[in-house]
Parts: sequence; structure tokens; C-alpha cells
Amino acid sequence: MVYHTARAALDNAGITRGQLDHVTLGACDELDGRSISSMLMAMPAGGYLVDEIKVTDSGASALCLEMARIKSEEFDIGLVSSWCKSSKTDVESVMRLRGEPFYTRPFGINMAVSDALFAQSVADEYGLESNEICQRVVDNYRRGALNPRGMKHAVPTVDSVSKSEYESTPLRRLHRAPLTDGAVSMVVVSDRWLRKHPGHKPLAQLSGVGWATDSYRLDSARLRSMRSARVAFKKACEMAGVGGVADIDVMELESQTGYHEAAYVRALGLSERTQISPSGGAYAQNPLFCTGLVCAAEAVLQVSGQAGPVQQPSVRRAVAHSGHGYAQQGNVFMIFDQVGDKFD
Amino acid sequence: MTEVVGVLGTYQSGFKLRNTEITFVEQAQQAAVGGLRAAGMTPDDVDAIVFSLAPTAFMGVADADRWSIDAIFGSGKPMLRVHTGGATGGSAVQAAYSLIRSGMYRTVMIVGAERIAETPDAQKVLNQIFDPFYEKDMPLQTITTVAMMATAYMQRHAVTQEDLARLVVRQRRNALRNPHAHLKGIITVEDVMASPMIAHPFKLFDCCPRSSGSASMILGNMDAVRQFQSRPAFITGVGAVSDSNWIGDRVVPTTEHDFIDWKLMLVAGQKCFERTGITDPVNQVQVAEVYDAFSIQGLTQLEQLGFCSAGTAFRLERDGAWEMEGGMVAVCPSGGTLCTNPIAVAGLVRAIEAADQVMGNAGEHQVAGVKNAIATAVGGIAQFLTCSVFSADFVKEH
Repeated sequence: MVYHTARAALDNAGITRGQLDHVTLGACDELDGRSISSMLMAMPAGGYLVDEIKVTDSGASALCLEMARIKSEEFDIGLVSSWCKSSKTDVESVMRLRGEPFYTRPFGINMAVSDALFAQSVADEYGLESNEICQRVVDNYRRGALNPRGMKHAVPTVDSVSKSEYESTPLRRLHRAPLTDGAVSMVVVSDRWLRKHPGHKPLAQLSGVGWATDSYRLDSARLRSMRSARVAFKKACEMAGVGGVADIDVMELESQTGYHEAAYVRALGLSERTQISPSGGAYAQNPLFCTGLVCAAEAVLQVSGQAGPVQQPSVRRAVAHSGHGYAQQGNVFMIFDQVGDKFD
Repeated sequence: MTEVVGVLGTYQSGFKLRNTEITFVEQAQQAAVGGLRAAGMTPDDVDAIVFSLAPTAFMGVADADRWSIDAIFGSGKPMLRVHTGGATGGSAVQAAYSLIRSGMYRTVMIVGAERIAETPDAQKVLNQIFDPFYEKDMPLQTITTVAMMATAYMQRHAVTQEDLARLVVRQRRNALRNPHAHLKGIITVEDVMASPMIAHPFKLFDCCPRSSGSASMILGNMDAVRQFQSRPAFITGVGAVSDSNWIGDRVVPTTEHDFIDWKLMLVAGQKCFERTGITDPVNQVQVAEVYDAFSIQGLTQLEQLGFCSAGTAFRLERDGAWEMEGGMVAVCPSGGTLCTNPIAVAGLVRAIEAADQVMGNAGEHQVAGVKNAIATAVGGIAQFLTCSVFSADFVKEH
């Protein structure tokens, strides 16, 4: 899966593996079931006899480090890859392992419970109501059904979402995006390299990245503040020179539940002008660890006009988001701009 | 426009088998506080964090880095966790270096902790690093695989077990001057030879210990250097390389980089030295903190890095070439990974030792007149290698 994805990305860019001068990986040992997952996976991800670094926060975090590596001017052509084979992993067992052994683990905290705590907090903070949450879920499924890169899950009704069984109050089964397998690779090159190779036209310009991690605590003050999301978004906007949300055409959010999307839209102050997750987001495909980097790939396709049936009109700027850790402890934002004739 | 990258402060705890007095989080906090104190900084002076943490299976807490964030004053800040096995610390330094050199951040703290002895047998965890279909069922782990490499190297270059033992004797003696070192003392070649056989040709004393402890290093751009450090070390070169994990493919005649002589280090070293401007390592580098989890590993790296020709490093050991005083180059004056191996931060400790030597902060194992010091790290099945150069002067390489 990883090899074929990396291979396809290189072919799409018209670049050979031998041209790569580095790779940056985002992978999770625990979800992969190996103590150093990159030992086996670096090579199929292009990491053979080149500089390689792996980060373990999320696939999107790898893109953040990649940007630093390119901007350091010590590298010119990199391949960022991330993957997750959720189907072979007992994900909730891994999530329980995330808990520290003294207080969190004995409570049985896992992804469902921590996401539910987040949902409770943001529902209280923003006065979220069930109808909106269920409608957001259905809308995501509907958009995802059009996405040729998605799983084409059956689209539920608002009624079926609202009546699905509880998994952890207030989260119902259909509130939560179903997990899938998947991998994503992205070829990233320097401005310097592009100017030397005018035959290559980039799909998008990575204009800014921002990331931050919140407190490990799961108290309501932390959860409802969404501080790391705000900090990361602000940092990415500053780097990209984005004045405000009015300058954003598309926002691909990693929303693991309908509550997440409702909360992020409010916390970031997104207006109706910005199209939210036209790809269907996590409801189209949700290879948990790299869903955020999938969002980045969808954002790239939007600004390049190659998103297919889910393409939005006149997208000049698209932002991708990733969340990681218990209850969105960490957040990543990546801003992509249309290239236009910059390299013509 | 790229930024100069300097070392603002470093910290190492003492290292020992178990650290039962404090938790992992408290270990990480000790390192963060220690690094900040060494640099004369407050938590608000740190813009971003790189967490150095190798397999979490040693301790059994998958989010140990995120668990630590409040204790290391990182809540709300950008943090990345880097993990390339044993090379983690070396990769973490290079990730932080990129964050500053790129101009994205002014200061970055690299911090990590290890308590490997939480697991009763680290080698069982390390068996899990191998391919599940073909290799895992064989008794492969880090000791047995490096032992096979050592056996072939020794046959090729007529190196004896006593030659390996001489290196162990020197480094245990060096470690006597290092207050952080785990294993240290005056031992003899006979002591090494008499220690229990683990995997031929490695006896117990040829192998690193399982060490627990923590470490940190704070890097900054020139503006931060001017504010916080009057005698900085600058990172003037970095290099890293990744190879296949299939050992069989790395020993056949068609291999691109011979595993036995460990030619992979040549790739990382060449790139690193090219960026630094080092062309004559023996005369330009005074200290080499090479990552040597086993007695075979350090000197084979020196051969590939150009300190001597292939197959000669152990003969030069007999002549005292790697001694702290009177040698050609001081190799692992700290005692090296062979004496202290907290896997999550072992590569970071190599970098700290190299930086401290340049900054004149190495204490009793300080080598005189250090202008350039190198630090290496090794991860996976000797497949992830990093090499970094710490210099007293910033060398503009481009």
C-alpha cells in the first residue's frame, strides 16, 4: 500500500526515486504493530540511501517538518509519506495504551471516550444541538460519496444518525467517522529546484504551516478552549500571509465526529464563504493517523483544479487540518495556494 | 536566507539501569529545567519543542511525549516527536536544526527521556522491529544482528576479540571522568574476555547497558545566541541516510553499500562534511562522539568517515590513536554509548557531548582545544545513520 502510493506520487510528479534527496515520514509504531515501523516502511516510502526522518505525531506533522527541511535550503526534492492500516489494528487498544498508567489508564480512556469528552465540552461551550451535528455528519457522507478517492460509504439519514446507539455519551455510532486503511504521499520541491526545472509545474504552493499541542489533561477548560487549534491556525496564517478566514476558499477539516466539525467552524470563525471539507473529509476516507495528510492532498487537488467531482469553483487558497492525540490535543494547519503562472 | 544554528544550553541526567524515584514525566521535566538553566532561559523563551523518544514499547505508554508536555512547559507550543530508533536523538537534533535554519523558529528545545528497564527484556521488544513474515521468528535482535556483522568484519580485516576488548577498556576508563556515565571503571582486556558470552564475538562487556535518564539541548538562531550564550557551539553540518532493513540485501556482492564495512556511514559523513567544509577529518576534528552500542560499531564508523582507512581502526587503537590525551582524535571521551545507552536520547547525548566539548563544558573529560566535534547516531538495524558537526566557529558552507 505504501509503496504503490509513493510510486504513484512520484510518477504523478514526473520525478524518479533516484532524484529524491530526502524523505520525511509520519508513522505510528503502535498502530503499525512494530517497534520501529520505519525500519520496514522507509524503503517502500522512498527512503533508500537518502536522508530520512520520521515523526510520530501525525502524517500532517511530517509535512510541517518537511517545510522546514525545504526552507533550510539543504534539500530540494522530498517525499512525504504517511499511512495507517486500521483494519489490522485494534485501534482502541492502542488508544488505551496512550493513557499514562496512574490516572488516565485506569479510567479506561480511549478514543471514543476522549472524543466524547471533547464533544461534551464543545457542545456546552457553543450550545451545539443534535440536529446540527447529525446534519453535518450526513452532509459529509454525501460529499464523500462523490469523492472518487473516498470509500463511497452509504449515506445515512439524519434520523438514522440521531438514533444510532450510543458509544460514549454524547457520541453515537454514526456520529463517528468510520476508520479505513490508507496511505498518502506528497512530493515537495524547493522553489530553487522548480526554477531550474521549468518543465515541472507544481500543483500548489505550500504557503504556511502551523502546529501546536495542548495540555495532556482532559478537563473541560482544556477541551473547550481549543487552544492548540487556534494557535496552530494563527501561526499558519501568519506564515502564509493570510489576513483572515475571508481569504480561505476551502477548509479540509479532519473531523472525527460531527461535533468536531461544528466546534472547529466556530473556534476558527469560518463563515459560509469557506467550503468545509468538500472531499467529505474523514467520512470519505479515514486512515486515522494520516487522515490530516489526506486532507492536505485534497486541499492540493482543490487549488490545482484536479479534485474531480468534488472540485469547488475558483479555489485560490485551501487550508487542510489535522488533529492528533487524545481529544485533539494536537492540531496542525497547512495552507496551500494556487500557483498560477508563478513558474511559467 | 537561512539562519545560523547555535547551541544555547545542554543537560544530561545521571544514567543508571532504573530510575524508580521519579516518573518518566519527571525525568523529562528534569531535562527541560536543566537545559533552560544551562542556557539562562525561561520556558517562555522556547518557541518550539522536538521530543526525542524511541520505541514506547520499552515503557508501555504510547503517548509518553504528549503526557510530558505540561511538565516540560510545552502546553500550547509547537511540538514534534521524532523517532528513528537508536538514531532518534541524532534525528531530533537535525529536525530542530532545520526548524531554526529555515527561519521558522528562533529557539527550539530538544528534550527526551528513557526508562528502558521498565521492560524485563528490551531485546524481546527489539525482536519486534523485524519483518513479521520472514525475520521475526528467527532470534534476531540488535545484539545478534550486529554480532553477525562483527564476525564478518573481523574475518575480513583480521581483527581479534582482544582488539575489541581494548576499545572497551579505553572507554570504560574515559567514562570514569564522566559523572553522567552508567558503566565506568578500570578493567582489563582479560576482564572483557572473561565476561559472559552473549552472541559471538560479543561478550557482556562488548555490549552497552540499558540506561535510564534524560537529556536536553536548546538550539537558537544567531539572535538567540547573542542573547543567551557567550560561548556557543554552532551546528555547521548535518548528514543522514536510510538503508534497507533487509540485511541479506546488504551483504551480497551487488549491494550498493557494503554492510560489513558499514559503508553507509560514508554517505551520511560525506554529506555532513561537505556542508561543513571538512576535508581532512583527522586534522580538523578533535573529538568524535560516535554511537557505539557495541564494541565493533564506533571504530568502523571512523573508517568510513575518513579518520583512517578501512580495516585499520582497531590497529590504531592498539597504538593509542583514539585516546583522549596524546591520540590523533579523542574518540568518545564520555565513554560513549558503550557505557551509557538510554536509547531514546542516546543520539542526543552524543550531540550534547560533542557540543559541550566545543563549548568547554565537558568537565573532567574536557579535551583541550576543541574546534570541531562530531556526533553520530545509529538506528534500526544499523540502517538509519546521522552525523552532525559542532564547531566553535560558524563556517559558511555555501
